This record gives sequence, structure tokens and C-alpha cells, in this order.
Amino acid sequence: MRGKLSIEKPWQRWAIRFGVFIAMVILVVPGAWVVLTAFRPNIEVLARPAVWIPQHLTLNNFLGIFGLLSTQQGLPVGSYFVNSLVISITSTVIAIALGMMGGYAFARYRFRGKATLFLGFMLSRTVPGVALSLPLFIIWARLGLIDTSFGLIVVYLAVNIPFTIWLTDGFFRQIPVDLSEAAQIDGCTRWQAFWKVEFPLARSGLASAAIFAFLTSWNEYALASQLTRTTASKTMPVGLMDFTAQFTVDWTGMSAMAVLIIIPALVLTFVVQKHLIAGLTFGGVKG
Amino acid sequence: MSFWRSPRATPYLLLLPAIIVILGVVLVPLLVSFWTSFTGYNLTKPATLFQFVGLRNYQRLLGNDDFWWAFGRTIVFITITLNLEMVLGLGLALLVNKITWGQRTLRTIMMFPMMFSPILVGFQFKYLFNDAVGLINNALFDLGLISQPIPWLVDGALANFSIIVAEIWMSTSVFAILLLAGLMALPKEPIEAARVDGCNPWQVFRHITLPFLMPFVYIAMTIRSLDVARAYDMVRIMTNGGPAGRTELLWTLMTRVGYQNSQMGMANAMGYVSIILSIVFTFYFYRKLVGARTFMGGAQ
Amino acid sequence: MTRNLLNALMATCALVALGGTAQAQEFDYGKFDGYTLKVKLIGGTQYEKLYTRIPEWEALTGAKVEIVSSKNHFDLDREIKQDIASGSITWCVGSNHTSFAPQYGDLYIDLKEMVPQAELDKYVPGTLASAMVDGRLVQLPRVTDVSNLYYRKSLYESAENQAKYKEQFGVDLAPPKTFDEFKQQAIFFAAPPDIYGTAFAGKDEGLTGRFMEILRANGGDMFDENWKPIFNSPEGVAAVQWFKDLYDAKAVPAGTVNYTWDDIGQAMAAGQLAIDLDWPGWAGFFSDPASSKVASELGFAVSPVGTSGKRGGWSGSHSFSVTQQCDNKEAAVSFAVFLTNDESEMMEAQAGNLPTRTKTFIEVVEWFKANDKQHLADMFAVWQQSLSEARTPPLVAQWIEVSNIIWPAVQAAIVGEKTAQEALDGAAAEATVIMQDAGLLQ
Repeated sequence: MRGKLSIEKPWQRWAIRFGVFIAMVILVVPGAWVVLTAFRPNIEVLARPAVWIPQHLTLNNFLGIFGLLSTQQGLPVGSYFVNSLVISITSTVIAIALGMMGGYAFARYRFRGKATLFLGFMLSRTVPGVALSLPLFIIWARLGLIDTSFGLIVVYLAVNIPFTIWLTDGFFRQIPVDLSEAAQIDGCTRWQAFWKVEFPLARSGLASAAIFAFLTSWNEYALASQLTRTTASKTMPVGLMDFTAQFTVDWTGMSAMAVLIIIPALVLTFVVQKHLIAGLTFGGVKG
Repeated sequence: MSFWRSPRATPYLLLLPAIIVILGVVLVPLLVSFWTSFTGYNLTKPATLFQFVGLRNYQRLLGNDDFWWAFGRTIVFITITLNLEMVLGLGLALLVNKITWGQRTLRTIMMFPMMFSPILVGFQFKYLFNDAVGLINNALFDLGLISQPIPWLVDGALANFSIIVAEIWMSTSVFAILLLAGLMALPKEPIEAARVDGCNPWQVFRHITLPFLMPFVYIAMTIRSLDVARAYDMVRIMTNGGPAGRTELLWTLMTRVGYQNSQMGMANAMGYVSIILSIVFTFYFYRKLVGARTFMGGAQ
Repeated sequence: MTRNLLNALMATCALVALGGTAQAQEFDYGKFDGYTLKVKLIGGTQYEKLYTRIPEWEALTGAKVEIVSSKNHFDLDREIKQDIASGSITWCVGSNHTSFAPQYGDLYIDLKEMVPQAELDKYVPGTLASAMVDGRLVQLPRVTDVSNLYYRKSLYESAENQAKYKEQFGVDLAPPKTFDEFKQQAIFFAAPPDIYGTAFAGKDEGLTGRFMEILRANGGDMFDENWKPIFNSPEGVAAVQWFKDLYDAKAVPAGTVNYTWDDIGQAMAAGQLAIDLDWPGWAGFFSDPASSKVASELGFAVSPVGTSGKRGGWSGSHSFSVTQQCDNKEAAVSFAVFLTNDESEMMEAQAGNLPTRTKTFIEVVEWFKANDKQHLADMFAVWQQSLSEARTPPLVAQWIEVSNIIWPAVQAAIVGEKTAQEALDGAAAEATVIMQDAGLLQ
């Protein structure tokens, strides 16, 4: 049930559809250009006059990355991919768990120092990267966390947690307290009430937070380039810079790598989408 | 009964792991770099870490024109991009919310720019805006709209315009998806009740939808205002501060001073002055957030 | 006449080399069974081919190589600085570059003390000299970069162009010998927006370097013997004026003030430029029909001289260095020598890079001719000429910092925000402060 009233006139509906179409085109075209570039030889890509209809499509850029062309060395794309996957998924899962706990605390409890803590989490994001990067590096070096997946996961947690806390806090507040109280009257502990009642309703919020946290970690470059060295922990965005040499930039190669980065993200986003609307049938719960 | 076993401790326990992570990853390095802003710390001479120079870095900073121009330009940059992203994101979310068919695909497409790493976006838009062989000039030429190439990344106003466009492309989706999730979490009864009572769509939007959304808007604004520093990588690739410093933002300046010139102490001093900027933004949105919450009810 | 002299020189070199190897000692790579050598190498598709030789060295010495880090030079420089700052130098061999080396202080050892002179003599003398910082050989050069002219033959050989040029200037149309001619021809060829005369690096060290090149070609220099900045001399103003005249005449793309090397390369490959002063690494790209429209008509010429009759010869070399903290310096030095020995240099040269060993130049030209790559053989002949006049930027730790002052100033002058003299004077004043702070300027 979507609750869409059909009071709107047809021209309004078409206007909306047109608006969405234009917006989608603007969002997609610059990105699609990169994806298309990955399949073209360089001579057609940055050319003048522009080659609008591709004359040659080639897989050479991809073959080159994997070392299947004789003219260049391949890159350890498989390792980058695995690292990115492990690091992004782990930090997202933990960030959601910790964020859920924190968000619930802020949404449902009153306690001393609450405003300060909340503000503190927010302010932790005001620190600019440059101020943080070197001391963080030194500390991580002392702890032996440089070039480890674990080290990067912990840092991404700090990046994602304030955000997951805020989001889940917002979504928990939308859920009326009476629901949990009603369940507790029925015999559940607060803990059980949470899992049976509040968690399912907040699923859409948690799914959004999860997608964000994942995409942030998946695409993050600045911290990763600092804290990783080798294929032990190097992620795909850092791998993008492998296509730059002192003077030349292998743009078509970089685009091919970008496609490899985009596809898993697209697939995952598409798959998780259904949880975004799963928790919406509580229209019948209230009142 | 000790405090930690009582029910009153629950919120603190829930928050404890998060607090530990933030302390370890943010606070400790922060204190270290705060210390270094009072030294003449040079990256390649570790001994200078203990060369205390007092307020010299800050004094030099306050008199440095380039820094203040970059500071001002950064404020303008953040203000423009945040506001435009919010408006565009809200519009996009409202539009997408109305479409029933193919929602899942639409939402995925809407998030497409979020799958591009900032550094990739930098190269992408650098080439798109390239005046000789870039796609944008080529399109304008072929459509007959221009006869001379437009120097997107060189002219003072155009260069700033270009980096703003790139940043908006990269991050509007964040606003859009947050607001869309908020729209979807909206209870339907008040809206239906209002419709039945005869309100037109604009009134429904203004008096019901928008207030419900405001907490989400402020959360999104706060998140983005602190996150917008991610644009650094993009700007570095596109213009690196632009011809003659026309697009110099705080972050490009700080990184150049800190890592290329190795003047870490000075760079950290810049960082701390700019933290004040972030804190101001954060406070502002926080107050608004609390205000919106009070209006809507919910646990204080 | 010079051609014959060059041939004679090359023949003599060949003879000496042949005779020499019979008597010279083969470098002893040593045996390091069970040792793991930690190295930080510059990564990226252009540099990685050489690393396929690493297993050979491992087999030769019994050691194992662990590549602790592999990044682009920008990030690698940052990483090395962080390592110095945090005192965690746990590696032995690092990729280096002549422009970056002076910043690292005494991180790296003096290789003169560990490599026999006989081996060092095999390197191109000028290249080895520029690898020294404060008299210490902190790096073994791997490939050298020096700029020369690429041009579009179709434009230079077109009868129509030749007639028009002769009419306008009274001399025959040929690749420019001086920077003034370069400017003149660029303006002559420009017909925006379809074609431009040339493009130049508009920011970062690229712009500073080109400025320095023209400054030196005009007879000036960046610093005097006491490290006082002297680039705001009349020669410097003339150098800035060269850029400005091209920009004002629209003989360069308007966006050139934001161009980095890859933008220029793409413009040349798209056929947008008539002539391009650029690096050897582009030769392969420009001559590949899949990447470049001008592949079939690519011409090479030596870089022009300035008003003083000299070349600026801006150059730099990628290299390998060995850390002080290394626990097995013999193994590290052996590795560095191996990656820059005759076979390694040959491999680099075959890919189109300028080698750092004298013998390799001769051998690779033979190889090119035998393998149907005449254009690369031509290129190498041209490039080798300019090596003798190659000069690095001032080998001092403050170079990057000073460069970061100069390029915004030159940009300001080019786009007309300041006059050339004003801009350079301002930059010289700031540079003086830097040199004073560093204690170099008395």
C-alpha cells in the first residue's frame, strides 16, 4: 500500500515523470561517460571533434588491468577487491551495531551528559583530515596497524559511527514509545520489546545507514592511501592512483578500474533496496 | 547496588563502545596535532616536534592574506553547495517519492554518483571540463552554442562554478536518499486527513511534510557540512587551488603546506582555525535540530 | 658535420665499452640466503615492468624481496615523510627521484662508499652527477627524463604552410631552434579552436620547471652561489613573458593555465597541438594508433635554445636509494645495482624510457632498428643529444616549497593579474624568507 491518492491530474503526473527523467539524466550522464570510456580506446575518448557514436569498443582496458595484455603489467585487482570488500562490509556491520546501540540510547533515554555526548559525536567530525592524518599515522605505526585491514576498519568505524548514531536516533524517535510499552505490558522485557517491535520498524533507517556507511567506506581514498601500503590492505580507490605516473595518466585504464568499483556497489545497493520499504506497513499500527 | 548494574547505566553502556572508538581514533591524534601547532614541526626533521615556538604559527597565520582568502572562499563554497544540495535533494526526493513503478531501480540510479570515489570524480570532471578536448565544450560546439572554447577551469568565476558543480553532482544524492528515507517514514494519516479536509498539495507539504522532514534535513546538513571536506581530493585533482589561487580552499592550502612544504606545525595551526568554522556550523545545525525535535515531540 | 662527430663518438664509446668489459670486474651481487629485503617501490603501470626482474635477483642472491609499499610518486613521497616523522624506517630500498631526494636529509646512505667505482663509471656521468646531494651519491638513477620537441610532420611538411611561413618570416619552416622561434611558430600555426600552436604546464612543479628551463636558457638562474633568489632578473621576466605572449595571442588553449602533463598529452594525442615540448614517456603513447591521432606523423626535434644560446635542459631521474637504518646494506645495494644494471636499463629503454647507462643507448638503438621501430631509434638519437645539457632543479630541500611560491606568481602574471616583474619580485621576496628560515641564505 503506497497511499498514493489519485487526485492528481494527468498532466501533473506527466510533469513529475518528466522531472524525474531529467534529474536522472543529469545524475547518470557524467557517470555513464566514465563507464563508457572504459570500453573505448583512448583516441576516441578525449578527442576533438568528439566521437559521439563509439566506432570501436574494446575490452583492452580491462585486459590490461588483469595483466592479459603484453604491453603492460597487470595490477593485483583481485587483492584490492577482496580488501575493499572485507574492510567495507566489516566496518559497516560493526558501525550499524554500535550505531544502533547509541542511537537507541539517545532516542529513548534521558541521562546526564546526553546533550554533551551527542554534540561530542558531532564535533568529532569537525576535525580536518590533515590535522588528524599524521598523528593517527604515528599512533597506528606504533601499534603495528599500518597496512592491516583491521587498522583501516577501526578508522572507518570512527568515520561512520557518528553518522549511524544520528540516523538511527532520528528513526527511533519516529517510532512511538507506546509500542514498546504495550509489548512490555504484554510480558516482554525491554530487550525483547526492542527486537520484536522497534527494530523491525526502524529497518528502513538502518538499511539507509548501512548503505551509506558501506558506500563511504567503499569509496574512501584519503585515509586509505595513508594507512595502506601493499596488497595486504590496499583498497580499490587507492588502486585507482596506480594509473597515474609522473607525467601520464592512463585515463581509460582508470575508468576500467572505476567500473570494477562501481559494479559491486550498484548491485549491493539494488539488492538492499527492498529493506528500505519493508518497515513501512505500520500505518495500521497507530491508533 | 553499584551504578554499573543499575538500569540507569544502560544508555552509557550502550554508548561505551562508540565512545572508545572515537576517543582512540579522533581525540588522541587531535591532542597531538594541537600540540604540534605550537611547534615549528617540520615533517622531514622529526626533532622539530619539540621545538616550541608558542603562538608564532598562529600569528603568521592571522597576518597571511592567502589563508584568509582561502578561509572566506571555503565558507562561501560550503554555504552554496550545502544549500543547493539540500534544495535539489529535496526536490529529487519528492519527485521520486511520487513514482510508484520501478522505485527500486530509480532509487539505485539516484544513488549512482555515490559510487564514485572523490578522487575519481576529480579526474572525471577535470576531463569533462577540459577546454580543448572535454565533453562539455565539445557538446556546446556541436550544438552550435559557442564558437570559442570556454575555459571552465581557468576563469575565476567559472573555475569556482566548475568545482561547485562537481561537488553538487557528487553529493546531492546523499541528501536525496536521506530525505527520501525520511519521506517514506512519514506516517500517512495526517496527510490523508489533511487532504480529506480539503488542503491542497502545497499546504500539505508546507504544514505537514516539511516539519516532519526538518529533523532529517538538519541531520543531513550537519553530516554533509562536516563531510564536505571529502571534496578536497576532487578539488586537488581539478584545479589544485586554481590559477593564481582562484579556487584555493582551506584543505588544498593545508595539505600543500603540511605535506609538500613539510610545514606540519603551520598546517595544524591552519587546521585549528578552520575547526572553529566547523564548530560554528555544527552548533548552528544542532540548535536547529533540537528546535525541530521539540516541535515534533519525542524523547529529549 | 655534427652527425659525423656524434657517430664517431658513439663508435668510440662502443669500442671502449667492448674493450672495457673484457677487463672490468663483473659486479658481485653477493649471497644473502634467507634474508628478506624490504623495499618501497613506485607503482603504476609505467614502472612495474622492471619489477618482473626481481625473481632473477632473488635466484641470484638467495634473498627474498618483500615489496612493503607500492604507490604513485606523490603518495610515496608523503609516505616517506611520514616514516621519517614517526621514526619508523623499517625498510631498506626506496624508490626516489632527483627532485625529491634533497628533502630527505640523511635518510639515505652515500652509495659511493658501497659501489665500486668501476660499476659507477658505467652510468652516464651527467646523470650520476645530478644524483648527488651535497656531494653524497644518495641514489642510483634508473631512468632519466628530459624534454624535447614532438611535432606534427603534416603541418611542417605541408607546402602551403611552408610558402606562407617563408613569405611572412623570410626563413624556411623547420622545427624551432630557439624559444623565440618556438613562440613565433606556435602563433603561426594557431587557429583556435581547431588547432593550437602548443600547450604548456600551467601549474604545480610543471610550471615552475618550464619557467626555470627558459630562464636558464636565457642565461639566468634560480639562485646565486649564496642561495639568494635571482629569478626575478630580466631573463626571468623574459621567460614569463614567453608564456604570457603565447597566452594572450591565444596560441595555446585557454585552459592551459590549469593543465598538468596529462592534459597536454591528451591534447597532443588528439591532434590539437602543432608542437609540444614534452617528456620521453609520451613517445609510446603518441605513436600508438589506438591512443593517438598523430601516430603516423610524429616528428622529434631537440629542445630549443634561449637568448643565451644554451638549453635549459630541465631533467630529473627516477632512482633507487638505500636507507641508513637498513640492517643489511650489502643486500640493499646489490638490489639497487641490479635494478639499474645493463639488462635492466635495456628493458627500460626498450619500453621507450631514457636509460642511465652509457652502453644501453647504443645497444637499444640497434635493437630498435632491428625490430622495426625506426621512430623510436630516431627519438633516442635526438634525446641522447640533449642529455649532455641536462640540468636538474636546485638540489636543495626547500625546492618544492619555493616552487609552490613561484608557480602561482607566474600564473598571476600570465592571466594578467600582475605584471611579470611584480609577480616575480613578490615571489623572490617570499623565497628569500624561506631560504633565510632554512639557514641557507647568509
